[in-house]
Amino acid sequence: MFWLTCLLVATFGFVHLEELFAQISPTQRQVIYSRDSFLALLLNHIYLVSIAAIISICVGVISAIFVTRSYGKEFLPLVSQVASMGQTFPPIAVLALSVPLLGFGTLPTILALTLYGLLPIVRNTLAGIQGVNPAVLESAKGMGMSSIQVLWRVELPLSSTVILSGIRTSITINIATAAIGSTIGASTLGDPVISGLVNGNTAYVIQGAILIGLLALTTDSFLERLQQKLIVKHSLM
Amino acid sequence: MKPNAMIELNKVSKHYDGTIAVDSVDLSIKQGDFCVLVGTSGCGKSTTLRMINRLISHTKGQIMIEGQEIMSFDPQSLRRRIGYAIQNTGLFPHWDVARNIGTVPKLLGWPKHKIQARIEELLELLNLPYSSFAHKYPSELSGGQAQRVGVARALAGDPDILLMDEPFGALDPITRESLQQELLRIQQQIHKTIVFVTHDMDEALKLANHIVVMDQGRIVQQATPYELLLNPANSFVSQLLGGEDRGLKQAGLMHVADFMKTNRTMTPSDHQLAQIKPDDSLRLALSVMLWHQQEQLIVMDDNHCVGEISLQQIIQAKPYADHHG
Repeated sequence: MFWLTCLLVATFGFVHLEELFAQISPTQRQVIYSRDSFLALLLNHIYLVSIAAIISICVGVISAIFVTRSYGKEFLPLVSQVASMGQTFPPIAVLALSVPLLGFGTLPTILALTLYGLLPIVRNTLAGIQGVNPAVLESAKGMGMSSIQVLWRVELPLSSTVILSGIRTSITINIATAAIGSTIGASTLGDPVISGLVNGNTAYVIQGAILIGLLALTTDSFLERLQQKLIVKHSLM
Repeated sequence: MKPNAMIELNKVSKHYDGTIAVDSVDLSIKQGDFCVLVGTSGCGKSTTLRMINRLISHTKGQIMIEGQEIMSFDPQSLRRRIGYAIQNTGLFPHWDVARNIGTVPKLLGWPKHKIQARIEELLELLNLPYSSFAHKYPSELSGGQAQRVGVARALAGDPDILLMDEPFGALDPITRESLQQELLRIQQQIHKTIVFVTHDMDEALKLANHIVVMDQGRIVQQATPYELLLNPANSFVSQLLGGEDRGLKQAGLMHVADFMKTNRTMTPSDHQLAQIKPDDSLRLALSVMLWHQQEQLIVMDDNHCVGEISLQQIIQAKPYADHHG
């Protein structure tokens, strides 16, 4: 709640702080970023990250489930290797590579964010499912649950906190990464940062950076709260 | 095939890429039997147990339940008909006790009120008061309580057969002892067909009326506890029975009440004699004699003298022809 308040205050309050920012960049005629409203940038930023998060959650969780089933076992080494390798790939490189394919703008940014956000989700879903006590699985099977029932009633609930913490990492990283989308023409909170860097306007950079940071903190604390609730609900310690 | 066999294994084998885990096992378990498979680790006893509910599929031979080959059943519905309890309980940590117990009834599609009634009935049967246990989570239970819940859960669907894989193996001796007693008491009420796996021969002797000794995937001997003690088939079996300790193990299966001299009234000098209860074992009587250095004990039941037993009577005691109980 605290971070959300800060975020909203900053979004709507920056326009009234012209004098403060004038001291940061005294040589600039204009010190408040005004090509777009901060609210529009914020909403578009959230929109990009959300779309990417939804896609990477679906793809990540489903593929991790697939490779932990008996019929998908052969792909387990492949998927876990790709998942850890992908994290070493800089997002800017994904952007650069996807521009020729998808053009400038929103689409390549979403692609890059999706790929980059996939990895913590896959890794944590794998760890969560593989971490379920084998005795619990044995008794679930021995009592006559079908494999779908074992998955829904036992494996997923028991790994839910670990999966959620992967989602949390993924989204938080992507809130920061999405700013890079501004370099290829997506409209995000990275716009003031990029434009500030190009024009030597430190005030713009600070405005963008503060908003990105506050958005990341707000989202992270919200997801943390969700995770705590899940832990209490399942009394998993 | 014998008509009253609940579970029947005909030349059943299990091969794992080249190694033979279970080798041509023939076993017939009657309705109401308490059958204990006993042997050292890796002798194939757990594999045999798990082939009965198809958690492991057998390579060769036939397994019949009530005369029907198990491969003709759908594995899920087969397992819902067979109770299953394992060493580490396998309780679902994210569900409370009541929901854990209700698992199989729910899978069987019982109506809610019937599941609820069943949960209450089972908690009572296992001496776990509903009000204090139904809504606890497995992490809040002691090892013994968790295993009671495990047994209750295995019984929940009212199965004819109960498979138990070293259910008391991880418990301390005192808790294990009391759960064994309880299992015997419950079995007298419910008369299920129980197949129980253990590596502990004392546990087997205490619980079973049909002991199956396995070694290297084969059945070495199957008999009642008394037959086994009297005539172990080979040195492996007598070693499992504790070698020279056999006499004590046998005495542990016999009750004072069956061998004491009855119709005895207290005389003043009796107050110097140590006492024992009629349902204690001869083994305990022997121990009490050794401790007090007396050759005679008074048998007391609820402060009434019901008889006496002497060292001579214990030494001459003939084992029962059949299992007690």
